[in-house]
Amino acid sequence: MIDYPLTIHSWPKAILHVDADAFFASCEQATKPYLRGKPVVTGKERGIVAAASYEAKALGVKRGMTIAEVKRKYPEVVILPSDYETYSIFSLRMFEILRRFSPDVEEYSIDEAFVDLTGLRRLYRCSYGEIGGRIKETIEKELKISVSIGISLTKVLSKIASKHQKPGGLTVIPGKEIHLYLEELPIEKVWGIGSNTSALLNKIGIKTALQFARKSEDFLRRYLSKPYIEIWHELNGRSIFPVNTEPKTSYKSISKAKTFTPPTSDEGFILSQLSRNLENACMKARRYSLVAKRLIIILTQHNFKRVGVEIELSRATAFPFEILPFAKEGFKRIYEKDKFYRQTCVVLSELSSKNELQLSLFDDTIKIHKMNKIYNAIDTLSKKYGKYTVYHGSSHLVRIQHEGERGDIPERRINLLKGETERKRIRIPIWNIKV
Amino acid sequence: MRKGERDLLLKSRVKAISEFYLSKGRMPSFSELCSLTGLRSKNAAFKLVKRLKNEGYLDQDEKGKLIPRLINRTIKLLGAVEAGFPSPAEEELIDTLSLDEFLINNPSSTYLLKVSGDSMAGAGILPEDLVLVDCSLEPKNGDIVIAQVDGEWTIKYFEKRDGEVFLIPANSKYDPIKPKEELKIGGVVIAVVRKYR
Repeated sequence: MIDYPLTIHSWPKAILHVDADAFFASCEQATKPYLRGKPVVTGKERGIVAAASYEAKALGVKRGMTIAEVKRKYPEVVILPSDYETYSIFSLRMFEILRRFSPDVEEYSIDEAFVDLTGLRRLYRCSYGEIGGRIKETIEKELKISVSIGISLTKVLSKIASKHQKPGGLTVIPGKEIHLYLEELPIEKVWGIGSNTSALLNKIGIKTALQFARKSEDFLRRYLSKPYIEIWHELNGRSIFPVNTEPKTSYKSISKAKTFTPPTSDEGFILSQLSRNLENACMKARRYSLVAKRLIIILTQHNFKRVGVEIELSRATAFPFEILPFAKEGFKRIYEKDKFYRQTCVVLSELSSKNELQLSLFDDTIKIHKMNKIYNAIDTLSKKYGKYTVYHGSSHLVRIQHEGERGDIPERRINLLKGETERKRIRIPIWNIKV
Repeated sequence: MRKGERDLLLKSRVKAISEFYLSKGRMPSFSELCSLTGLRSKNAAFKLVKRLKNEGYLDQDEKGKLIPRLINRTIKLLGAVEAGFPSPAEEELIDTLSLDEFLINNPSSTYLLKVSGDSMAGAGILPEDLVLVDCSLEPKNGDIVIAQVDGEWTIKYFEKRDGEVFLIPANSKYDPIKPKEELKIGGVVIAVVRKYR
């Protein structure tokens, strides 16, 4: 039963998935050539490894490890603070290069994208694999980072293809060969299948992706819901998930988290961190004209234990002024005096469009109108003079601690060019080369 | 007919004559003037010529043939300044470049680099200058390149002779470099930026 193909159609559709290898660390190696070939990790300012270069991974460094542990076990590793500005520029440039080849690009995350290549063989007069090769070469030449590329009939399969050989791989899975790649693949490695689903599937005798793909739809419908049937179709080479080229404009939830080092038990400081995250999340919500009906706050203790609380707001809003009292109350319920904390996180959920917002009979319309005016003014000021030009008093303590932690600020923000300010820098990456 | 309308009519006739002049390279005869402007008699055409003569648009030679004066300078005719300058319409700015666009040809492959050495001083590239480097370009002879030679990075002129690459400084203090083992071209310098204040 293993031998026959899942589909006899080679390329009804061609979807490419590109995944940058150790993206943040690669960006650092691209702009600092003296780090190429060396073990590099980023995330110094958070105290945990955000990305590790392949050289660091080879030593045994893993994502999420504490920086202290890396220092102790692998003293040769170069540890850098994250420079999100540079990473974002590299990300935009990668998407820009992809759009040179096809207009249908989905920016899936900062370091991942899907590209619909269907029909482009005729334009470029070469195979899909060769188009993938050209894309890979261009990214590696112009960005000096390495990427792994997978090409297949559907998004789920292209993700399997890009993961097949990492780093620097280019894997093409035509319809007739799908079964060869699914044969050895554990079912939990398939995009969209979580640990609970794979545990259930294991119990009914499905261990590999191929066993899953070979089952009949009727059989699977007895156990699984529609999203999983869609994955089953995709594994069989029938494309269900389209490449979504729309830029992200709506969110299901907005979360903002910030880690501070060293961990602290200072109630006022932690609360101000929470308040700052809330301000940030609300600002983002207002930018997309959204309001939230539900608030979640999470505190992470120094040992990574997380405690959270969920709060229903009295009115859908994006004004910290209205949400802060709830946040403070929630905070009091989960904060423990003698514990040390390293991170606070705020999640706004049950989002809806601000324009659909109905005022209830009991809302204080004059007050809401006034708040609207104040926050419009705050947003205008932020745009003109930089974020946090005006902020809530409850976030004030954030300022006090963060000054003077130079090692945690990326080089790009310290060595400013003439004319650059702490707030605005040229949107071109700098190569740190001595010539 | 009111004065404004008459002026408009006159302008359209001047325009017709100037178009005739620009396309044929000569002024029209009186009969051609009639068909150009829609006048029915040569007498009317004669009157028009008299008026245009008065306003300085054209002249006549001794035989009565027309001589162009302001007629071919269409810009003066159409762009009569009424009051002040027109505000810069967006369309007027379509064909302009921002400094970014002027300096950078390929935005996704261009990087900044701060120069620290003086090996290109003779080419006007001094320490502390910023250079814009495009790594999508293939270097040609005479280009300034950022290159890695036997492990060291450098900025030099690129020179290829008989298949061999030489890296030539613009400063007599330094010698040309002939890569021994390895040469990697990081990119081609496309511009130098020096900000004084």
